[in-house]
This record gives sequence, structure tokens and C-alpha cells, in this order.
Amino acid sequence: MVMAEGAAVLRRNRPGTKVQDFYNWPDESFDEMDSTLAVQQYIQQNIRADCCNTDKILEPPEGQEEGVWKYEHLRQFCLELNGLAVKFQRECHPDTSHKTPKECPAIHYTRHTLDGAACLLNSNKHFLSRVSIKESSVAKLGSVCHRIYRIFSHIFDEYENETFLCHRFTKFVMKYNLMSKDNLIVPILGEEVQNSVSGESEA
Amino acid sequence: NCFVHQAGPPSPRNPPTSARIAFLQGERKGQENLKKDLVRRIKMLEYALKQERAKYHKLKYGTELNQGDLKMPTFESEETKDTEAPTAPQNSQLTWKQGRQLLRQYLQEVGYTDTILDVRSQRVRSLLGLSNSEPNGSVETKNLEQILNGGESPKQKGQEIKRPSGDVLETFNFLENADDSDEEENDMIEGIPEGKDKLRISKHKIGNEGLAADLTDDPDTEEALKEFDFLVTAEDGEGAGEARSSGDGTEWDKDDLSPTAQVWGADQGLIKELYIMNITLWGMIADLGDDELPHIPSGIINQPRSASTKVTEHEGARGEEAEPITFPSGGGKSFIMGSDDVLLSVLGLGDLADLTVTNDADYSYDLPANKDAFRKTWNPKYTLRSHFDGVRALAFHPVEPVLVTASEDHTLKLWNLQKTVPAKKSASLDVEPIYTFRAHIGPVLSLAISSNGEQCFSGGIDATIQWWNMPSPSVDPYDTYEANVLAGTLVAHTDAVWSLAYSGIKNQLLSCSADGTVRLWNPQEKLPCICTYNGDKEHGTPTWVDFIGCDPAHMVASFNTGSAVIYDLETSQSLVTLSSQVDSGLQSGSHINRVVSHPTLPVTITAHEDRHIKFFDNKTGKMIHSMVAHLDAVTSLAVDPNGIYLMSGSHDCSIRLWNLDSKTCVQEITAHRKKLDESIYDVAFHPSKAYIASAGADALAKVFV
Repeated sequence: MVMAEGAAVLRRNRPGTKVQDFYNWPDESFDEMDSTLAVQQYIQQNIRADCCNTDKILEPPEGQEEGVWKYEHLRQFCLELNGLAVKFQRECHPDTSHKTPKECPAIHYTRHTLDGAACLLNSNKHFLSRVSIKESSVAKLGSVCHRIYRIFSHIFDEYENETFLCHRFTKFVMKYNLMSKDNLIVPILGEEVQNSVSGESEA
Repeated sequence: NCFVHQAGPPSPRNPPTSARIAFLQGERKGQENLKKDLVRRIKMLEYALKQERAKYHKLKYGTELNQGDLKMPTFESEETKDTEAPTAPQNSQLTWKQGRQLLRQYLQEVGYTDTILDVRSQRVRSLLGLSNSEPNGSVETKNLEQILNGGESPKQKGQEIKRPSGDVLETFNFLENADDSDEEENDMIEGIPEGKDKLRISKHKIGNEGLAADLTDDPDTEEALKEFDFLVTAEDGEGAGEARSSGDGTEWDKDDLSPTAQVWGADQGLIKELYIMNITLWGMIADLGDDELPHIPSGIINQPRSASTKVTEHEGARGEEAEPITFPSGGGKSFIMGSDDVLLSVLGLGDLADLTVTNDADYSYDLPANKDAFRKTWNPKYTLRSHFDGVRALAFHPVEPVLVTASEDHTLKLWNLQKTVPAKKSASLDVEPIYTFRAHIGPVLSLAISSNGEQCFSGGIDATIQWWNMPSPSVDPYDTYEANVLAGTLVAHTDAVWSLAYSGIKNQLLSCSADGTVRLWNPQEKLPCICTYNGDKEHGTPTWVDFIGCDPAHMVASFNTGSAVIYDLETSQSLVTLSSQVDSGLQSGSHINRVVSHPTLPVTITAHEDRHIKFFDNKTGKMIHSMVAHLDAVTSLAVDPNGIYLMSGSHDCSIRLWNLDSKTCVQEITAHRKKLDESIYDVAFHPSKAYIASAGADALAKVFV
């Protein structure tokens, strides 16, 4: 909620704020953000501004360390997948493989994977600081991506148009070479996957 | 010439004029009055302490504690006898002695050891210009005598000079000797120290640390104590500028040989000690932690002279509480500053409200057993790391070392503090969640656990309230079997659900939403929403709700307009409006972020966006107390299960613990990094174990022990 004119802008969602008024403040440039969580703030701000503009969302600000950039993006993917998993769970219909939504293997897999990713991405051993990340820890991000990608193969569906999540994720893993193209089996982006030049820097 | 470093007699100075003598004597009288005030204060505190000990002893052991005469101290008339000072040295000396005896006794009682006293006497000595370079004590004391007597014929000045010098030496006596006797003091007057004094003098080095530094490590207290420097600050008026001394005595004016000024310097130390004792005794009383603490109105602390008005307010608020202790008012103007106001500002413990104490060594008191819920110092122990975005709410299980967190990452998580992950780098332990609750779409904002710990409720930006069966604390996090964790969904609100409260008395749930309504639920029923309040938004948009602790038929809701309202749950009537004056110029300055009801007293507490915490009387709706509690918006409040402490969290990244009786801060903890302009969202006490916790925008929850 933005305060009255004359007062400084305070980027807060206070108790009592309506849904439509959430995040109701002007954007900041990355350099203006003085919090240690600036990367997360920046990514979330860009997604809110236009979730379809995957290129802008994936483009790091100048001078931003790549390891932290990739890490924060993965956190954001997991966060959004939490919501997607719930939506999927609500829509899940019985079929031959399972009779109730509770038994749905896709849901089980999704929850299990997201819990595991949360555990790894928050582990003290590998990712103690969110401001700088060891080289060895960055290497772990690839395996997390593999597992998360499989969630998409389960639940890629009508939500994609709302969130463009799978699009963004596929571009993300290609841009930073976190997975090999052979593994990208979800039928999206079609020719884009074939034609894209993975000339981005290594992880 | 700097007499501090001189070994021989000082050079001759102009003899003090009679005008100057009069001035200095007047100031000295002011000093005495100051001291009288403080001694009186300490007597009152001691009385309160004795009373409290008696009560505590009686409660604990069922018998009376033998403390001798528990009379309320009475004070003689305040009028200072003008004739007393120069012409009746005998009376004055008695007063001095009595006062000093009392002070010594107090200091002993609060545990000031001889070491500390020694160090302080050392300070006084350095103030008076004695060097310690000579191992031969007798030479030093001879110097002292000469210095004090001005190097001239002291007999000409008669008693006026002699008495003060005697007092100075007596001051030394007080500081050094625990078992002083009259004979010793008389000896000192004659200028020959006792043998042990000599030994003590040679034992310690002179240090230039301020007295303040000796007393406490706390820089804030040092700051507060430095205020006493005004006592010898340069003043308009003849000769005053010569008696300048800072807290560490380095600026002691070398030219001033007036014995009265030297006494002044010694008195400064004494007064600082009295002030410290004041604080200490308050701390001791506050920490007794008994439900039956004598009712000590905050008015006394903040405004000692206007105690009468504040006492009445407080009395009104606290009905049947114990008879409040009142001070006899007035008396004793400080000649130095010429007005009571400055005295007030120095003595008033309004400053203390801002003091933060992390080292409680000086406040220790022999509290037997049950320290669980009465801890004074909390230390970080567990870090709960698993959420991907800010943790908006957290709640402890009623009995187990288990808690639930609710996050903007759409999930809730269950944590067992006994299942920790080894962390090499830090002293605090990392905890992994044992279960993740997924049912909300969008951020989860609110949380409440049932009183038996078997169910919990969460509210989100999706306007739903999810009702969960709590998994057992020993559940395997990777268990594929999904028990019936989601018990149901309560749907009625049409906008974000910001607050939930649970009452075990009728197993009811309260919720409030950005849609403007407050709702009462009975989750078991087919139509669970029993009642809706503020449907016409007459009070604004509700921001938080709580059941009234001392009357479960009532509840309180806070609003974005800055007022809180107590409702009757059954009749839906709004009974009392708790409103404070909105003096903040900011539009959202009066926005209330949190309201909590005291568990046993008819008191409601609110946390405001404008940094204030305010206390209200439930019966009258009047504001009992208001304080600036943090450097930024206060976001969260929690009262400990015994109703003694208040915990507050703020976007200034700090958690503060407050003693509810004295309204003073007993601990401040820095926790959680900022995301955007937010930092701490929630704080909580464990209902039955010694844990406190905080939830932050940095996606972490922290538990302190």
C-alpha cells in the first residue's frame, strides 16, 4: 500500500490489504534495491509486471553474479510450482491409474519433488548465504532442475497460459545449460527448442 | 599548574570570595537535596521490594518472611534548614552519615562487591587529584589534606572549609569500608587515614574510565548516566565554570582548588551510584515475576513528580489490584538547574524505556525454581529454513516442541525442534520441516492452532480458511502415505483472510478479512459460520482479531482506522471502542497491525504502524499507556502465558521483550533481514515451554531459548 503523497513510499502489504491492492507500489530499479534479498525482489517484480515476457525476467541485471541469479530463479520456480501443484490437485480427476486425487501419482511426485527441492535449496551445507554461492553448490542446481522438469511433464496443461511457467523454465534451463536438450520432452516451444543456440555461459 | 600530577603543595591561589562561597554552598545544598530525593526514592523501592519478597515468600512457603519492620517509610518535612549548612556541622554530619549508612546497606544488598566499590573510590580519588605513583600511602594522604585545605591557613576559614574536607574523606570511607565505624570517620576528619585505606590506595591503578563504564557494559546506560555531567557543567555565574568535569574526569579543571567543588565531584559519583541503585532495584522488583506484583504504576517511573495524576489513571484501570505505592510529592528544588523539569528529565525513567539490557548480570536475584517462563535473556537456538518467501505467521503447539509456519510461498510447514540438522558453521541449529501443508493458492497470511494441538487453521489471500488435522510430530517427512490431513475448507470471506484466533472454551474460531468482516466459526457444524461482525464496515477494515482472555464471551478487533473495538460475541454488539488520539500526520500512521488481549487482565494491547504500542482498559476503553516501542512500524505482539512479559516485533528488524508492569524493555534481539520494507511479521511464545519465536520476510523462522 502506498502512503499518502508527500510521504516516502513504503513497500508493505499491511494487514487488512485487499488482494487487488497487493504489491501496489511503483517498481524499483535493481540498483535502488538495498536489501540483501534484492535479487528475489527484482525477479518477483518483473514477473508481476509481465509474466509472459520470459526474456526480460531471465535477463540478469548488469554485474549480477550468475550463481546467485540462477539460485534465486530456481527458488522462484519452486515457489510458483507450489501453487500450481495445488491447482492441479483440485482439478485432478480419477482415471485408471488412480481412484482418488489423494492417490494420484503425479501429485505425489510433485509434492515429493518440491519438498526435496526445498530441502536442498535451503540446506545449510550448500546454500547458506543467499548473497554468494559456492561453485560446488551451483553444480547441484542441475539435478534440481531435472527433477523439477519432470513435474512439468506431469502437469503441463491449461495453467500454462496463465503463468507461462513451463515456457520460462524451459528457456531458463536452456539459457544456463542446466539440462541437455534431449531431456526437454515437453511439447512446447517446438522449433524454438531445436533452433535455439545454447551459446550461453556454462553453469 | 595541573594539581593532578603535582607531588608537592599547589601554588597559592586567590582566596575564594564570600560571594563565591555562597554560590557554591547553595549548589551544594542543591546537591544534598538531590541526594535526599534519591535516597527517599530508594527507600520506597526497598519497601516495595520487601513487600514483594514477603508476598512471594508467603505464597511459596505459606509462612511469613521475617524481614523486621515492614513499615512504609515516612519522610520528614522537606524544608531544608538553611541554618544547617554552614553553622551546624554536627547535624549535617549526622545526616551525611545516616544517608551513607543507608546507601552502603543498599549497595551491599544489591550485591555490589567491594571490588566495584574500590574501583569507584579509585575514580573519586583521581577526580580529587591524588596520584597513585607513590607507594607510600601516607605521603598521598598528606597531599590530600594539603590540597583540601587550600595550602593556606585553613583555620581562617573556620568550619566552612573544614567540614567539607571531612566530608570528602568520609566519602572515601563510605566507598571503601563496609564495616565503617564512627571512630574511623572521626579519625578521617582529622586527616589521618586508617591503615587499610593506605593499602587500598596502593593496590589499584588509576584509570580514567568514567564511572559509567565501571557500572555496566551497556552503552545506553552509559549515555543515560552521562546526563549527570550536568551537575558540574559550566554555568553562568561566578566560579561555576571552574568546576567542570566530564564523566571520566579528564577535564577536571586544574585551577579549582575549592574544597566544595571537590566535594561536588565526589557527590557526583555518589549520585550516579544512587541512580544506578534505583535502576537495579527496579529491575529486581520487576524480575520477581509473581502474579501479585505490587501495583507499581508506570506513572511513577516516567514522571516521579507527577506521580499523583498517573497513579489515578492506572488505579482506574486496574481495579482490584494491590494498593499502589505513592510517593510524597514535591520538595527539594535543585538549585543547580533551577527547575524541577530538568531534574525530572534526569531522574525520570522515561529514558529507561529506551534502555536495552542484554547483560542481566547485575539484575540477578535469587529466584528459586520455575525459571522457565521467566527468563530474562533469550538466545537464538534454531533456524527454520525451508520456505521460499516471507513467513507471515507462526504458532507453537500447546505442549510439544513443535511449531507451524505459514508463508507467502503458498505453504504451511510443520517443524519438530527435536529434529535438527547439524550445521557446522553457526551455533544455532537448523531445523527441517516434517510436513508441508498444501491447499492454499497464493500467500498464506494467518494461522491458529487449536488448544489441544490436534488441529490448525490457516487463512490466505485466496479468501479461504483451511482446516487441518495436525500430523504427529514423529511423522516421516518422506512418507508417501498421505493421511487425512486436510479436514475441510471454510468458505465465506471474499477477500484475504488476515487474522485467525482460536478459543478452546467453545472450540470456536475467529477470523477477519480484507472484505471488511469479522466472522465467528464453529468448524464442526454443517454451517460453520455462526456470526458476522462489522458487516457494514462501520469501523473500517479489520486488521486483527483476538478473543478476550479474561472474558471469553468477548472479542476484540483492530481496524485500519486506528481504533479497536470489543464485541460481545453472542449479541454482536460492539461494547467498547478503544481509541487513542491520532496525532500522527501520516495517513496510515494510526493503522493498527496487531491487537492482543492480555490472558488474565482486562487489558488490550495494540501495535501501530507509527511505532507505538498502546495499552487500553477494557472496561472504560481509555488508553492506559502509550509508548514509542520501535524505530519502525510495530507489526506483531505476543503476551507470555503468565501475563508478565510482552514481546513485540517490528519492521526495524528487532524483537523486544517488555516487562508489562514497568513497561520497560528488558531485552532487544536483532533478527531477520529486510525484504522490500518489511522484516518481522510475527512473534510467539510457547504456551508451556521456554521458547519464543519470530517469523520474517527473509523466509526464515527463528526460535530462541
